Amino acid sequence: MFRRRLAGVLAAGVAAATVLAGCGGDGAGSDGPVTLKVLTWEPGGTEYWQAVKTTFEASHPDIKLDMQAVPFDKYPEVQGPYITSQSGPDVMANNAGLELFDRRGAYVPLGEKAAEINKDLVTYSGACEGFDTSKECYGVPFSYQGNVLYYNKDVLTAAGLDPEKPPATWDEFGAACDAVTKSGKTCLALGLSGTFPAYWDFPEIARNYLTEDDIRGLLAGTLSWTDPKLVQTLEKLAEITTKGWTNKNAPSITMLPDGADIFQRGDAAFAGTIISDAVNWDAFGKALGDDKLGVTRWPAINPSAPLAQKFSGIEGAVYGVTKWSEKKEAGLEFITWLAGKENGELWVKHAKGQPLNTTVDPSLLPSSPAFKKIQELVADPTLHAGVMLSGPEADALARGWQQVTLGQLTVDKWAEQMQQALERSPTKQQGR
Amino acid sequence: MSISTAPAKGPAVATPPSPPGRRARRRPGHAREWWFGALLVLPAVALAVTFKVVPLVRGVITSFESSSGFGDSSFAGLDNYTRMFDDPVVLASFRNALLVVATLPVWVVFPLVLAVLIHQRAPGWKFFRAVYFIPYTIAPIVVGIMFRQILAPDGPINAGLRAIGLEPLAIEWLNGQNSALFSLVAVALWSFFGLGVMTYLAGLATIPDEVMEAAYLDGAGFWRRLFSVVVPMLRPTVAYWSVLCASGVLIWLFPLIYALTQGGPGNATMLPEYLVFLTTFQFLDRGYGSAIGIALFVFVAVLSIFSVRHMFTEGTRKPR
Repeated sequence: MFRRRLAGVLAAGVAAATVLAGCGGDGAGSDGPVTLKVLTWEPGGTEYWQAVKTTFEASHPDIKLDMQAVPFDKYPEVQGPYITSQSGPDVMANNAGLELFDRRGAYVPLGEKAAEINKDLVTYSGACEGFDTSKECYGVPFSYQGNVLYYNKDVLTAAGLDPEKPPATWDEFGAACDAVTKSGKTCLALGLSGTFPAYWDFPEIARNYLTEDDIRGLLAGTLSWTDPKLVQTLEKLAEITTKGWTNKNAPSITMLPDGADIFQRGDAAFAGTIISDAVNWDAFGKALGDDKLGVTRWPAINPSAPLAQKFSGIEGAVYGVTKWSEKKEAGLEFITWLAGKENGELWVKHAKGQPLNTTVDPSLLPSSPAFKKIQELVADPTLHAGVMLSGPEADALARGWQQVTLGQLTVDKWAEQMQQALERSPTKQQGR
Repeated sequence: MSISTAPAKGPAVATPPSPPGRRARRRPGHAREWWFGALLVLPAVALAVTFKVVPLVRGVITSFESSSGFGDSSFAGLDNYTRMFDDPVVLASFRNALLVVATLPVWVVFPLVLAVLIHQRAPGWKFFRAVYFIPYTIAPIVVGIMFRQILAPDGPINAGLRAIGLEPLAIEWLNGQNSALFSLVAVALWSFFGLGVMTYLAGLATIPDEVMEAAYLDGAGFWRRLFSVVVPMLRPTVAYWSVLCASGVLIWLFPLIYALTQGGPGNATMLPEYLVFLTTFQFLDRGYGSAIGIALFVFVAVLSIFSVRHMFTEGTRKPR
């Protein structure tokens, strides 16, 4: 009888201890602070992420951050196995849009908390299904991202062009490229390996042919790649390389770092990259000098097209809490902080990026002429067509462009391959 | 001079067979030995099952599933396998794999020639013995990054070719449909041949000096000695290196493809192993990726089986 009672008391004790440990939730409690493992490609650079860690930990002594930094172009390969095995980091990053949508199964949906967390942001729709904030959202953005065309004023001047009047139309761009090529420099620094062509070049041409509804059709997989609008887009992409406007090795290099290096060395007149994170106005300004760096919208092919004069904008990296994390509360606390004013100001100060938080002190914004010009450009945004592409489409876009450049493929065949890639895409099969 | 390879003579008097009674008495000892042997082998078997058989079986199971992104999967029957026959990228990758396999004779003979030169103490043999192995010690991913610069249109190789008046040979190595694959294989060979040289040197050390000397005194030239003396005596080593290369060229090249070409331009350097990775981790199509992986496994197994069989025959052949 006594033994039975003792066993009962012991069992109750063990159960109580288990419940108490469970109430500790994230493992915090008498054992010390919770350590959150964060997978990131460090958008904004190491200095910014160091500041994030220091500042966040100072204001949240119960949470420590363990950053796993992976280069951007290697990120999918590192993240993929984590998601497949449903284990690993507590917080992860993905690009807003389809990339995040593809991986939404890895994240905890924010539900009604999304609106509250993101209340001070210009937009957060890229973190939600179908770019619709009334649907489920999976994370928090804090930076604004999008495409612009940077140019080297010295190279334009040497080619006899006016650096204060960069080419605004496709024809002007062609003429400028001819002049730059004659001066012995590359016109447009370009790398066609990887996903960069899909994200950085395709949207800028597509804006001339597509409407916002078309771009949503691209996301849903209902717009065929054999549609004349998309075929025309591919034709113009092909023109960039077949007319000799780019570096010769474009088909075999990646835009980051190889293509960007060509521009940073001063060997090219133009480079089509992004406004935040890596290879932005800050990095190029440091390499070339702020006064030598110009920034403009990509030249318009059809200036009267509804989106031709718009900015292809998208929220930057979105950070979400993983489904398998045992520290979800702490993870939520961290991403909520990421969307806040304090992090917005760190983003401006250390990453020199475009913040999404509207409460950031304007006096902190950089004084670079290129940054100021970007403020004008981003004021009139549209949907970013590049982030609507699935993995197979982004891959086929780059490979097809390489082959067209080398004369191994026609544009029509390229369009067919794109359509096959669309049909191979698991996520878009589900969407159709 | 000749070397006898005949087996040593056995005892003059044959041992009579054990009577049944004695054999029966030995049984408990045999059983103990058997269990002891099994116990010793058990850890290796457990490791092999855990880390080889289980993942392989899981891969096979996944290859019969259809998955959407990272969501749940459903049974797809043979769909993933039949899909491969209509997928131009899969077909291109296996066509490229066959082309790579066709370079195997170079992988086998080139290090052998160098090893024999070193073994025969050709001028500078000590230096070359060390130098040849160095590329193998460089991480393949670093080799890929290095050669991306070296093979660039304006890189050092083309600059060198132009400097010596061979302008027509200064092609865009990584941009051509065929030259890209050729360059990839050449870089891989550069990276791995040192291991082959070392393997052959280890084999050559087992050939008695007298044999080589005799061939030399009989007037055999370098190639004669190579093909009539060295190759026959090194057959097991050659077979071993061939198996390693046959499977290696199909499953070792991932880091080089990744750093050098990412399978491009187009699908010119796309090999099945890289496609498995792309399909699984970038396109999030796990079932299809596994099916391609299983197809690659079968391809490598079929390719290796002849060499392995030959090796086994060589290894178990009794000396005459």
